[in-house]
Amino acid sequence: MSLYHLRLALQALRNSPVLTALMVLALAVGIGASMTMLTVLHVLSGDPLPGRSAHLYYPQIDPRPLGSGGNANPEPPGLLTYIDAENLLHQGKAARAAVMYQGGDVVQPPSGSALHPFVVNSRLTGRDFFSMFEVPFRYGAPWSAADDAGAAHVAVISQKLDRKLFGGADSVGRMLDYGGHSFRIVGVLAHWRPVPRFYDLNASRFGQVEDVFIPFNTARALNLGIEGSTNCYGRPGKDLDTSPCGYIQMWVQLDSRRAAAAYKRFLADYSAQQHAAGRFQRPPNVRLDDLMQWLAYRHVVPDDVRMQAWLALGFLLVCVVNTVGLLLAKFLRRSGEIGVRRALGASRRAIFAQLLIEAGMIGAAGAVLGLLLTMLGLYLVRRQPSGYAHLAHLQPSMLLATLALALLASLVAGLLPAWRASRIAPALQIKSA
Amino acid sequence: MTTLRPILSALRRHKIAALLIVLEIALAFAIVSNALYIVVGRLQRIDLPSGIDEPGLVLLQLATAGAGRGTVASAQADLAALRAIPGVESATAINSLPLSHSQWGLIYALHPMRTFSGGVQAPVYFGGPDLLKTLGVRMLQGMSFPPSAYRDLTPQNAFKIFVAARQALITQAYAKRLWPHANAVGKIMYMGETPVQVIGVVSNIIKPYISANAHDPGNYYAVFSPFRAAPDLNAWYALRCRPAVCPRVLKAAAGKLQAMHPTETLNAQESFMHMRQRYFRNDRAMAWLLAGTVLALLAVTAVGIVGLASFWVQQRTRQIGVRRALGARRVDILRYFQTENFLLATAGIALGCAAAIGINVWLMAHYAVPRLPILYLPIGAVALWTLGQFAVLGPALRAARVPPTVAMRAA
Amino acid sequence: MLDMRNVSKIYRTTTVETHALRDFSLDVREGEFVAVTGPSGSGKTTFLTIAGLLEELTHGEYVLDGVDVHGLDDNQRSRLRNEKIGFIFQAFNLIPDLNVLDNVEVPLHYRRGIGAAERRRRATQALERVGLSARVRHYPAELSGGQQQRVAIARALAGSPRLLLADEPTGNLDTAMARGVMDLIEELHREGATVVMVTHDPDLAARAERNVHIVDGMASGIIEEPSMRPAVRAQGEGAFRIPGAED
Ligand SMILES: Nc1ncnc2c1ncn2[C@@H]1O[C@H](COP(=O)(O)OP(=O)(O)OP(=O)(O)O)[C@@H](O)[C@H]1O
Ligand SMILES: [Mg+2]
Repeated sequence: MSLYHLRLALQALRNSPVLTALMVLALAVGIGASMTMLTVLHVLSGDPLPGRSAHLYYPQIDPRPLGSGGNANPEPPGLLTYIDAENLLHQGKAARAAVMYQGGDVVQPPSGSALHPFVVNSRLTGRDFFSMFEVPFRYGAPWSAADDAGAAHVAVISQKLDRKLFGGADSVGRMLDYGGHSFRIVGVLAHWRPVPRFYDLNASRFGQVEDVFIPFNTARALNLGIEGSTNCYGRPGKDLDTSPCGYIQMWVQLDSRRAAAAYKRFLADYSAQQHAAGRFQRPPNVRLDDLMQWLAYRHVVPDDVRMQAWLALGFLLVCVVNTVGLLLAKFLRRSGEIGVRRALGASRRAIFAQLLIEAGMIGAAGAVLGLLLTMLGLYLVRRQPSGYAHLAHLQPSMLLATLALALLASLVAGLLPAWRASRIAPALQIKSA
Repeated sequence: MTTLRPILSALRRHKIAALLIVLEIALAFAIVSNALYIVVGRLQRIDLPSGIDEPGLVLLQLATAGAGRGTVASAQADLAALRAIPGVESATAINSLPLSHSQWGLIYALHPMRTFSGGVQAPVYFGGPDLLKTLGVRMLQGMSFPPSAYRDLTPQNAFKIFVAARQALITQAYAKRLWPHANAVGKIMYMGETPVQVIGVVSNIIKPYISANAHDPGNYYAVFSPFRAAPDLNAWYALRCRPAVCPRVLKAAAGKLQAMHPTETLNAQESFMHMRQRYFRNDRAMAWLLAGTVLALLAVTAVGIVGLASFWVQQRTRQIGVRRALGARRVDILRYFQTENFLLATAGIALGCAAAIGINVWLMAHYAVPRLPILYLPIGAVALWTLGQFAVLGPALRAARVPPTVAMRAA
Repeated sequence: MLDMRNVSKIYRTTTVETHALRDFSLDVREGEFVAVTGPSGSGKTTFLTIAGLLEELTHGEYVLDGVDVHGLDDNQRSRLRNEKIGFIFQAFNLIPDLNVLDNVEVPLHYRRGIGAAERRRRATQALERVGLSARVRHYPAELSGGQQQRVAIARALAGSPRLLLADEPTGNLDTAMARGVMDLIEELHREGATVVMVTHDPDLAARAERNVHIVDGMASGIIEEPSMRPAVRAQGEGAFRIPGAED
């Protein structure tokens, strides 16, 4: 690729400014649309805990009674009953494990505050939640194992809640009035925003983490309400925790494949044992997905987003075909000139290279404009009402991908026309057909 | 007069360019017809009737803290106070609302079942004797619950009592699902092993969340149970008012509730119309996005056609001049290019039909997209034919303006 | 057949006005064979474009086969071209995308009331006439220059025009091929066609019944050897027949 070729290409582009502009625009629109949607897809299908996600697993067992079968989902339910959660937590051998459910209740501001009472979501879980998910703390630390065991009235709150109630000061040791009960604050989270909010996909999947964390045992002892889903597969009794109703999620950390295999065996053994005892009616039916498998299994990326991404790719394809057509027109328009160049000794390769450079330049211009359109597109996506909208930001990797995609698209689009034009026979005069 | 054969044989001499136009139109057609179908599906969802008399309904939700608060007794007092607000025609508590995303669901079957699986799922609505009137749901057959049937549902007994109701009202759609050919009133359905008697059929009311398919009759399955609901089970207060005064009523009601419960907080206060709008905003956004993409796609396709057609006209300037010299009128030249474009578009549309159906089959397999109605193919075809004719008009007019002297004077 | 009186054609560009024809008069009678000669740039082609209704004249009068072309609109002019005039161009001007038969059929497509079968019959007949029946499926690029010009003549013939206009029909051909084409044109003339042919070649011009010499946009009739005769203004009816031309 010589300077001469570059100059020729630039000149050629300047010679037909309207056609060139149309090509750049069409390519840029295709790039903009597809990169916008691919960025959203990329953000949503990302790994919320890079480096750790491979060691985090979501156990599932099947305590459902034998049903009429046919139309029932063969997969085990996604939520554990209280009894099973307790059993798995105490009998299973995992490096770390936490059971949890979502609650929601009213926070009474401290006396003297001008605030009205307000509703917050809470996560009622064990202390391993914080270490397993590497949740960052701004002040204090998770509660202790003794707090878990003794159902202590302690809480960890979010940075946001700390700001709201205490102006962002270190509130460790102060009291939180939640759901009509008092809790001693032991920790304040730093900013933490896993995307998606993987640990509980029944609630808002791309929302913020909860504002209040309270030990699971404490929550059960106080009978703190359930905000998430409750699925009963049999007639519930007076007490939810002895009813055939699942409402608990569980996560375990298993540091090796071997440990994971062993844990899965444990789940099967546990099911068999419950079966033998008559509590389970079905033969063992277990799942143990790691984090990313779990996200895929639960279709975390909304179908709309996937469909939009496909649509955008189809759009890009149309734009590329369009560019192929326009480049062909552009190159063949210069048949005469190319014929004379060939007669004057330009090789097929040289013509091909020159035309491909021209295509590449259009690609470069399309990339820059496409990048601007991508940013505009993401801005528009952020203004959409969907829960994930605010996450749509251009990341450096996607920025590079945009540029590469535009260049690639234009070069692919240039191949056929450049090849076709390089087949033009040498001619000593510029003839019009 | 032009006939097709010479046009076709001329196209055969420009295979690549012709194929490119055909391909572009085929892709555009396939994508546009599927996208349009999805857009229309979304718009139909947005327009689904809720079965509620919407304009005159406003909603409030009180978040309560701690045991013993927001009970049925306190709810009765709240409702009495709310009814006293001028403009309120009726008021009720209700456990969950259509299009609110949050539902209580049960499964009923025609035979006793040992498990809950195998029947037909329906959301359960309950709240009190004024529920139907406040929502605007009509009794169609049978009768509603006698006042003595209502029981209080509390956080303590909810799980046990909720599944033990012995009487129910069901919507027309649900009745039709369970007893397609018979009158449902008086029939017995089973919640697990518990027999439940249908004492009345009411007009359809939409579910708290609905399926992707706007035409799914299941969107209108619902069962009404004789319970009183209260804020301690996340119940709403629903007030009926004349639409003109509703905003004022809502404000007054919020003020009154807040005054009666200074330590509680109002989780929500909005009109049902607003809730409905919120429910469908994703659909609306998706419809706009797809419609925008379709337009951009058509624009790009038009640009492609204009570009290639201009090139073609330029390349054939000489022969256009010759044709003119040999007696072709301007309109003959114009028609030549229009016919040519029509042929290319037709080939593209034929190819696009196959692709459109292929894409639809794939979408059906992977996403909740129903089968593409055949009607969309002719609609898409007309759209692309029209687009092609518009796009080619400029270049074709330019061609028609080529003067016949071009034949004499080699350019 | 072709009657031009005091015709002038002025080409206007932004900077210059070119008087390509000035006060040009010529009367070509039915069945006549006229050769038009003149130096380069003298206005020969301009005369043909006006005679062939390809362009409008600036001043003057032109009656073609009894029709005053003044004030005709584009469609009427197209129709006249199609029905009355056959063109033979120096550069052949076949349509490269169409095969020989389709090329010959082109003018018939623009005539009303001719069906596909009739078109085919006439085109085949015209190709037989020029001796190219064997090449109907060929494309122009697959023919020699002489063959291409014969196809062009067949195309001009297919519409059975009253008037044949040829602009240097042999200009792109070697002598042997040129002779063949000339023979064909003469034959057509003998069969009754009116022929007006522009040429540079005095030998070819000599085969016409009458020569018109154009200098600087004005016509002069010349008897026999153009260079040896004094230029005589050919004014309207005063145009004269060339004695001794084959008849
Ligand atoms: N479209 C035009 N605009 C301006 N001037 C023109 C145009 N066409 C022809 N002319 C001028 O008119 C004059 C006559 O041109 P014309 O083509 O009739 O000459 P000619 O006798 O056919 O020449 P040759 O023998 O070289 O073909 C020339 O001076 C030419 O430059
Ligand atoms: Mg000339």
